[in-house]
Amino acid sequence: MNRREALSRVSLMLGGTLSAPTLLAFDRWNQMTPESRVNSPSILNEEQREIMARVAERIIPKTDTPGAIDVGVPAFIELMLREGYTKPVQDTFLTGLGDLAGKGFLTASADQQTTLLKQVEAQTLANAKAGSVSFWQLIKELTVWGYFTSEAGIKSSFDYQPIPGKFEAIKIRPGQKDFMYGNQV
Amino acid sequence: MNLNINAQKAQTYDAIVVGSGMTGGWAAKELTEKGLNVLVLERGYEIKHVEDYKTAMQDPWEFEHRGKITTVAAEEHYASMFFSAKEGSQFNFTNDKEHPYIQKRPFNWIRGYHTGGKSLIWGKHTYRWNREDFLANTKEGIGIDWPIRYEELVPWYTYIEKFVGISGQAEGLAVLPDSTFLPPMAMTAPEVHFKKSVAQKLNRPITIGRVAHLTKPQPWHTAVGRASCQFRNRCTRGCPYGGYFSSLAATLPAARSTNRLTILHNAIVKEIILDDHDQKAKGVRVIDQNTMEVREFYAKVLFLNAGTIGSTSILMNSKSARFPNGLGNDSDQLGRNLMDHHLAVGARADIEGFEDDYYFGARPGSLYIPRFRNWGNDKKRDYLRGFGYQGGAARADWSRGSTEPGFGADFKKRLTQPGPWKMSLTGFGEVLPDPNNRFYLSPDKTDKWGLPQVVFDADFSANDRAMRKDIMNDGAEMLEAAGFKNVTTYDNPAAHMGLGIHEMGTARMGKDPKTSVLNKYNQVHTCKNVFVTDGSAMASASNVNPSLTYMALTARAASYAVAQLKAKNL
Ligand SMILES: Cc1cc2nc3c(=O)[nH]c(=O)nc-3n(C[C@H](O)[C@H](O)[C@H](O)COP(=O)(O)OP(=O)(O)OC[C@H]3O[C@@H](n4cnc5c(N)ncnc54)[C@H](O)[C@@H]3O)c2cc1C
Ligand code: SF4
Repeated sequence: MNRREALSRVSLMLGGTLSAPTLLAFDRWNQMTPESRVNSPSILNEEQREIMARVAERIIPKTDTPGAIDVGVPAFIELMLREGYTKPVQDTFLTGLGDLAGKGFLTASADQQTTLLKQVEAQTLANAKAGSVSFWQLIKELTVWGYFTSEAGIKSSFDYQPIPGKFEAIKIRPGQKDFMYGNQV
Repeated sequence: MNLNINAQKAQTYDAIVVGSGMTGGWAAKELTEKGLNVLVLERGYEIKHVEDYKTAMQDPWEFEHRGKITTVAAEEHYASMFFSAKEGSQFNFTNDKEHPYIQKRPFNWIRGYHTGGKSLIWGKHTYRWNREDFLANTKEGIGIDWPIRYEELVPWYTYIEKFVGISGQAEGLAVLPDSTFLPPMAMTAPEVHFKKSVAQKLNRPITIGRVAHLTKPQPWHTAVGRASCQFRNRCTRGCPYGGYFSSLAATLPAARSTNRLTILHNAIVKEIILDDHDQKAKGVRVIDQNTMEVREFYAKVLFLNAGTIGSTSILMNSKSARFPNGLGNDSDQLGRNLMDHHLAVGARADIEGFEDDYYFGARPGSLYIPRFRNWGNDKKRDYLRGFGYQGGAARADWSRGSTEPGFGADFKKRLTQPGPWKMSLTGFGEVLPDPNNRFYLSPDKTDKWGLPQVVFDADFSANDRAMRKDIMNDGAEMLEAAGFKNVTTYDNPAAHMGLGIHEMGTARMGKDPKTSVLNKYNQVHTCKNVFVTDGSAMASASNVNPSLTYMALTARAASYAVAQLKAKNL
């Protein structure tokens, strides 16, 4: 058993705290040379970057609270792709963006974009294999994570309590927001 | 000549304690409080309580990778990946790349090389061992008999518990003796329901986890600068409130206040120096981890508290004409009987209902289900010993969005609401001592400091694997008894030693020097002024978390050592 296998098993058995994409990120031992991770330039071109940002915004759109783009999710995704994922995973991501480009995602209407992404999601669910990683899973996890850990995302979505001071069972009031404690990080 | 004598004098103390972690902190406190001048040698870098907890007050958005681990960090901390895969705490876990070891059979060695050792990253579950834990070996003919009994530890448990501060509920159970408690933490509504159902239908008691958190600080806690736990559950980043017990927050400040404590950091103890005349240890040889400079320090008594593998390695590395196979190793038991707890097996369920039940605050800790198998009236199983569970029920938070289908405005809105309740139970099972489960020092591979690398060669036994089946099934049975939905079990056949993070047993105590390394006072049988009071000393593993017992043994041994010094026996 190599280290990566060991790690993914640990995570799976401890309750799947880490998702498959994150686990695959650990798979760097054979594929990544030290040079390839130092100062590696951006791996997305302008068009890919634009599609990535639009998809993130479709996942968490601006409503009465900020959307993915407002809180800087695209920059977070790019950073994580570069520093948190291996070449094969990066390639999967780029292929996903390429497929959307080929389907004219950028010029499609909002509704068409949503329809397109619904198809992508349905396909992903249909093709899901244990331990495999897909473009949709990746971008969704990174969007959700980037959004709900951003300052604006947290403050507009939750009742943020960095120092609660006590632990108490309570009853939910109507319209109550979820508490957030900052301990996910 | 004079110069040399002066230099030697300046490096001479009454006692040397190796390691500043959970047990080293206690050795330092007890020995200084009893009047000894003590030198603590710590191989890692210095962490100052409060001021060096750099990430403790950081908000989520202040972390560059928002807590996610990078590929580089993943490689450097591979052993502790599950426990440290967080941007805010990875530096509290030892870098495996800089501190390599060899896995002949898979073993994850999870460490903390810095002030406080693993007391900065532990889970804080704190349980007494029970009477049977000290008798099981001799009754079943496994390993060797313990040279002590539960009754002898009781006053030491009580003494430690008071100072540590343990929140919990007294239950009067023989299987899980009560400690001296601070007020218990609350159970969530589904947990209360679970407890009642399991008591009624299966007659198994469940209690709230006993954790070393101050729920109601006492004067002796505030005296060392500790305050009440704030329920932030960011403990592995270090706690500026001293809300949980660590040697940084509690024992080291107590030792320091005696003015008899000296701590030296970056000091890797390489070996014990034996005095050829009287076969006693006269000091230790130390390598500075940064400058590589080698120095010697001397003392009348040595306490090894470098963690199980660390302390036993030092003994193995201390070779002399008298001890060609390592200090105190006449029995050839050094490094053998390596034990851990087996985990990564249990059950989970979804919970319907309780929609308006919620909670305020992040509770560090969980439920505890004491051992019920091979105990009392339970019919004998096809394996020896037993297991307990930690676990609990909580509402899913926004992170469920990573795996839940859907996207868009409704999806976003939904994730800002408390999610469904879920419950999970993880078993911690007892591993039996086995002389073939061992570690030894590599004959040829060394680390950066020229010290031989540790080679792990241990695995779970047939007994352990049989027990795992019951852990799964019994977990599921209890979740079903509570009427929870979608009950699933899990057991990873690849789970291996080390992940239980409770390594112990490699310099066991016993009555007979022919079969053990330490006597009943944690004293090396054949080198009386060396005491080993961490997990190395354990003759069996129980199924409850071990640190309270290590601490009790340490305080007891320190008291004995000082009495022996006074009686001029050391
Ligand atoms: C993630 C995690 C969760 C845990 N949860 C629990 C729990 O809930 N309950 C429980 O009871 N236990 C728990 N444990 C186990 C607990 O942390 C250990 O049992 C305890 O810390 C052991 O104390 P120690 O003094 O032997 O070692 P440590 O606390 O590890 O201290 C050893 C110290 O010695 C130093 N050292 C090592 N080698 C040398 C050398 N050659 N020279 C000088 N210094 C040296 C190290 O740097 C370190 O500071 C947990 C452990 C981990 C990793
Ligand atoms: S939960 Fe309590 S002990 Fe843990 S960091 Fe917060 S205040 Fe400290």
